[in-house]
Amino acid sequence: MIATITRQDVEDFLFREAALLDEWRLDEWLTLFEPGATYEVPTTDRPNEDPHRSQYYVWDDYELLSARVKRLKSKHAHAENPHSRTRRLITNVRVGEPAGAEIPAYAAFLIYKIRDGNVDQFVGRYEHVLVPDGAGLRFRKRRAVLELEVLRPGGRLSFIL
Amino acid sequence: MEDTGEMTGTTTVEPRAKTRDRRSPFVHEDWGAHTFRVNREVFRSEEIFARERDRVWDRLWLYLGHETEVPRPGDFKQRTLAGRPLIFARDSTGKVRAYLNACPHRGTILCRETEGNAKTFQCFYHAWTFANTGELVGIPDPGAYPPERGFAAEMGLRGLPRFENYRGFVFVSFAADGPSLREHLGDAREYVDLMAEHSEGGLEVIPGTHLYSIRGNWKLAVENAMDGYHFSPTHVTFVEYLKTTGYVTSDEGGRAITLENGHSVLVFSGHGGRVGMQWEPRFGESERVRVEDNVRRLAARIGEPRAKRVSGTSRILYIFPNLLLFDIEGLAARQLEPIRPDFTEVRAWELAPAGESAEARELRIRILGSFIGPGGLATPDDVEAYECVQRGVVATAGDPRPNVDWSDISRGMAREAEGQPARNVDEAGIRGFWRHWDDRISGSAP
Repeated sequence: MIATITRQDVEDFLFREAALLDEWRLDEWLTLFEPGATYEVPTTDRPNEDPHRSQYYVWDDYELLSARVKRLKSKHAHAENPHSRTRRLITNVRVGEPAGAEIPAYAAFLIYKIRDGNVDQFVGRYEHVLVPDGAGLRFRKRRAVLELEVLRPGGRLSFIL
Repeated sequence: MEDTGEMTGTTTVEPRAKTRDRRSPFVHEDWGAHTFRVNREVFRSEEIFARERDRVWDRLWLYLGHETEVPRPGDFKQRTLAGRPLIFARDSTGKVRAYLNACPHRGTILCRETEGNAKTFQCFYHAWTFANTGELVGIPDPGAYPPERGFAAEMGLRGLPRFENYRGFVFVSFAADGPSLREHLGDAREYVDLMAEHSEGGLEVIPGTHLYSIRGNWKLAVENAMDGYHFSPTHVTFVEYLKTTGYVTSDEGGRAITLENGHSVLVFSGHGGRVGMQWEPRFGESERVRVEDNVRRLAARIGEPRAKRVSGTSRILYIFPNLLLFDIEGLAARQLEPIRPDFTEVRAWELAPAGESAEARELRIRILGSFIGPGGLATPDDVEAYECVQRGVVATAGDPRPNVDWSDISRGMAREAEGQPARNVDEAGIRGFWRHWDDRISGSAP
C-alpha cells in the first residue's frame, strides 16, 4: 500500500500506459486493470450521463474489455488491421481527493491516430479511478471523455481511446 | 427456423421488379445472365451527388427524429438534414415541430444551442424573438417597419413544407407536393409496426447519441446494412466473442425482402439474442425470466402469431433514403446525412420500451453497445468496409474495359429466378435499393 499517491506516481502510470497502447502491447495493458474494472467513453452529446441509463460509445465491463483486447489482437479486427499508428500526448495531470482506496485521477489527452493517409485527432480528458496495487496503481474505472462534438472526420473508436 | 410470417407469405416474399432488365447509365440488370451491376461513378461523382440532392433529398420524406427526443414542452434540438440546419422542437402547447434554423430576417442561424428547453428563440444579431410556436413576438423598434398589419405575421419561423409523424418517428419533406408519409412508407409500415409492438407504452429514445462520420458515400452505408452476406467474414471477431459467451450464430433461414419505394428489410434469426424478447446466455438468468414474462404478455396483447413475429426474429429495416431501423439485440435508429460524395455523417439513437425496469434498460444498453456504434465490437469493421470501398472504387475510375468500373450485386439472382425467396445472405435487398435510386436519378420518377 502506498502511503500517499503523488501526481508523479499518476503521471508515471499514465505515461507507461500510453506507451503500452501506442506500442499495441494490449495484453500488458490489460494487466493495468483490476478484475471488475470498467472502460467507458460517453457520447459527445451526453458526456455526464450515467451509463446505466444512457447510450455510450464504450461501456465495457471487465469481460467485454478482455474480449475487446482479444479482438484487437486478431488479424480479423479489420478496422485495426493493420493497426493505426497512434501517439498519445497526456498532460494537465491532477490527482483528486482519495475516497477510501480509490484515487480519482484527471488528465487531458490528445491522441493522434494515423492510418490510410488520414491524421485524426481525438482530444478530451481522462476521469479515471485508480487503486493502489502493490507498488503501483491499477484502473478501477478508466473513463475517457471526448471534447469533440461529433466523431469527425475520424469516425471510429476502434482503437483504445 | 421459427415460423414468423416472413417465411410463410403472411407478408410479401415474392421478389419484386425482377420483371425487367435495366440498362441505365448507372444500373445494369440482366435476368438472362443473372447479373446486376452498379456503376461506381455513383460513389464518386459530384454531379450525381447534386442530382441526389435535387431528386431525392429535396423531394422525399426524410427521417428527422423520434418524438421522444423532445419529450417536454419547450424542448428543442438542432439537427441538420440534407444539408439544411433545422430546429426540432416541441412547442409550449406540446406539439412537435420542425423549423428552418435560419432567422427569417437575414438568414442568421437562430438557435445556436445544440439542444435545450426554451419558450422563445431569439436571434442574437438583431434580437428578433420568436415563440416556439413559430410567431414573431418581438422586434426592437417595431415602428420602423410599415405599420400595416401583417409584417410580423409573414415573418414568423419558417416551418417545413411537410411534417408527419408515424408511430413516434417524425419525418419531414422539403417538397410541398408528393405522396403522403403513409404512402411513401408503403409496406415498410408493417416493419415499423413490429418494432413499435415491443412495448404497450410505446418506444422512447435513450439519452446519448452516437454521432460519427464515415469517409464514404452514404449509399455504401445502405448497401452494408442490407447485406447479410458480409456478416460472417466482416464480423468474425464478434462472432468469436459470442461463441465464448455460449452463443453460436447462424445465417440459416434469414430473408431479404424488397419493399416498395426503395425500402427493404433483412430478417435474421441467428445473429444474436434479443433483449426482452429472445434469450441468449450472456443475458443472464434474471433476463431469462423477464423474456418469458414479456413474450407471454405480448402474446396476450397482440395474439400468439404476431407476438412470435415481434419477438422471434431480428430485422434491419431500411427506409429510403436516410433511415435504418435496427430491431436486433436491441432497438436502434440510424440516420444518414450525406456531406460530400465521399463523406457521410451518421447519427444513431438507441430506442427502448418506455418505462422498462432499470435492470432491463441497463442490460439493453450493454448488449447493443457491445455490437453497434463507433466503439462497438462490430460497427468499426463496417466503417472500415465503407471506407475501403470508397478508396477502392477510385482505382477503376474511367477504365474503358467492360464491367471493370462496375460493382457486382448479383448474388442470389439465379435462386430468385427460380422463384425461391431471397436469403439475407444474398444481395436482393441491395438490388431493391438501387432500382429505386436509379428510377429517381436516371429516370423520370417524380
